[in-house]
Amino acid sequence: MDGVVHILRRFIGVTILICILLFIFNFIVLGSFVFNGMNEKQSPKKILENVVLNLEHKGKSYVLGKPAKKLLAQNHAWSMLIDNTGKVKWNYNLPKEIPLSYTLIDVAKFSRNYLMDYPVFVWKHNDGLVVVGYPKKSYAKYQFYFPISWMSSLPMRIVTLFVSNIILALFLSILIGTKLIKSVKPLIAGVHALSKEEPTYVEVKGIFSDLAESINHTSDILQEKNTALKARDEARSNWIAGISHDIRTPLSIVLGYASELEENMAISVEQRQQAGIIRKQAQKLRSLVSDLNLVSMLEYEMQPLNLKPVRLSVLARKVASEFLNNGLDEKFTITLDISDENIKVKADEKLLLRAINNLVQNSTIHNPNGCKILLKTCISSDNLTCYFIVSDNGKGVPRDKLSKLTELPYSSNKEHSFRNGHGLGLPMVARICQAHHGQLVLESEIEKGMKAIIQLPLYFED
Amino acid sequence: MENIKNKKILIVDDEPEIRKMIESFLRKEGFFRIYLALTCEEALAICRLNKPHIAILDVMLPDGDGFELFSSIRQFSQMPVIFLTAKGEAQDRLLGLGLGADDYIVKPFLPRELILRLTAILKRVYINTIKQRLPIFKLEGCIVDLESAIVRSNKGEQTLTAKEHGLLLKLYENKGRIVTSDALCEAVWGDDYYGYENSLMVHIRRIREKIEINPSKPKNLLTIRGLGYKLIVKEE
Repeated sequence: MDGVVHILRRFIGVTILICILLFIFNFIVLGSFVFNGMNEKQSPKKILENVVLNLEHKGKSYVLGKPAKKLLAQNHAWSMLIDNTGKVKWNYNLPKEIPLSYTLIDVAKFSRNYLMDYPVFVWKHNDGLVVVGYPKKSYAKYQFYFPISWMSSLPMRIVTLFVSNIILALFLSILIGTKLIKSVKPLIAGVHALSKEEPTYVEVKGIFSDLAESINHTSDILQEKNTALKARDEARSNWIAGISHDIRTPLSIVLGYASELEENMAISVEQRQQAGIIRKQAQKLRSLVSDLNLVSMLEYEMQPLNLKPVRLSVLARKVASEFLNNGLDEKFTITLDISDENIKVKADEKLLLRAINNLVQNSTIHNPNGCKILLKTCISSDNLTCYFIVSDNGKGVPRDKLSKLTELPYSSNKEHSFRNGHGLGLPMVARICQAHHGQLVLESEIEKGMKAIIQLPLYFED
Repeated sequence: MENIKNKKILIVDDEPEIRKMIESFLRKEGFFRIYLALTCEEALAICRLNKPHIAILDVMLPDGDGFELFSSIRQFSQMPVIFLTAKGEAQDRLLGLGLGADDYIVKPFLPRELILRLTAILKRVYINTIKQRLPIFKLEGCIVDLESAIVRSNKGEQTLTAKEHGLLLKLYENKGRIVTSDALCEAVWGDDYYGYENSLMVHIRRIREKIEINPSKPKNLLTIRGLGYKLIVKEE
């Protein structure tokens, strides 16, 4: 919607700019082209003045100065002087049909219009009236009369004209703009939907019909690809689920007989120990299989989450007492640091417990000489994220290897070296965090312990 | 107790090795009336003919799935059923238990676990007279009788309130193990237990006054700082 308003604003702005430019352009064209040639170099008025100045009274006759004569000749014009009685006292090149005497009415007539179709111009002289006549059809003469009231309101009228012009331009631009936007809007919505990979259909009509078709086509392709991708993910996940299922039956038999042998008093202690090793390895395989299955379900977003509000403090106590109840070696200590009892997240409790258990387990596995494990819950300063931190003071991991720890093993850019465990644990924890819209952050340095931070969005009760 | 061992057990699994293994474990434990089936059809026939007391069902069978078989069995028999399956997903577990199965064990399993769960169910279902009664146990300096909600010591008999009784039962069920304060509150006040921590401490103090020789130096009901409590029970 923001985009639409933006477009409309730009559109109106551009229209106003065009109006102003058009106005300036017209002004220039009007001056330099349209009115060009309206005023000749030697305007009738100038020639007339020249004639009046150069017409001198010499004896009984009048003499016209040479420059004035030349001007008249250049313009093919004629001239005469009419005295107060209406008689022509002097003339120059006067055409034959022009009369030599005039009444007051005649003078009044030709001073405004034409003298026998000759455009004439008159000027006051000491001895009468100087008339300069031009060839027929060389000048057009117009008279203008305006009422004063009209003249005085003219600026107002011109301003009104401008304002109404601007209003019209604005109105038109908004009208055209909204019309354009109306046809663009579905396209915009379509493109936005495409970027969110949502299925979209834009009605194919109007000037943008080919664009609409492209958007529809792209949407179809995108949906098809997503479906194909999802089908492939599902197939892959089902494949892994199938394999882990098939591994479970033979593993049951290995585990079953091995633990039976381990308790069999008829065989030697050494053999019983060996059976115990088989049993332990089978159990390791069992946890690998179930982790593998969970990671694959999470990776392909097929793990259903049983979300409920969960208090982090409850989880911390549960994990700690679980480890203590199951005979945690005395080399390890578990400490709790709970800043706020009531920090809640919306989570699948079982999955989150599995993640935390895994982190604590990692601390015990990777520090066989013992370490101090701290479970801490706290909240970010902006009150939006809560942290469940599992840290130890053990041997840690080099900082540059940290980012690799959450990658899936056997992926192309991870080295295959797991001295302990199967390498699926931390990727699983990271994916459990992601499934809860959170993330796993690891901080560590050699000999400075390991710190795993589960960051989850805080749950607000409504 | 000995009459548990002569209960008839039906094992339905299409994997011969698994059938053989479970059978051998059960025989070693003293069970001797064991029936084996590898299809739903066989299983139903045995159920009708021999009327077993408990069944261990696989979910994936050659002629149908174990959930369907379970429903068919339920139409004429109320015997307890344990699902033993390689399908470990949470939905399957919930489906199985939701149908009314008595237990759901995911392969691979430890034989000891299977035997323990099986005997627990058999005891609960067939020797109900013993199991129905609440435990009586001995602590340092006193005897707690949860059946009549009484603590007997040289101070005489003291009755337990309902809350104290509930807490002691929860602690006894997890004797020797840490029970978090959350789990204790939940056992007594239900799901919506948040905020009862202080009440819990009051109740624990009252319990100690009844069961401890010196309540300020508890030996039976220990506080595990920051986590919860642990009940130390002498051998019965």
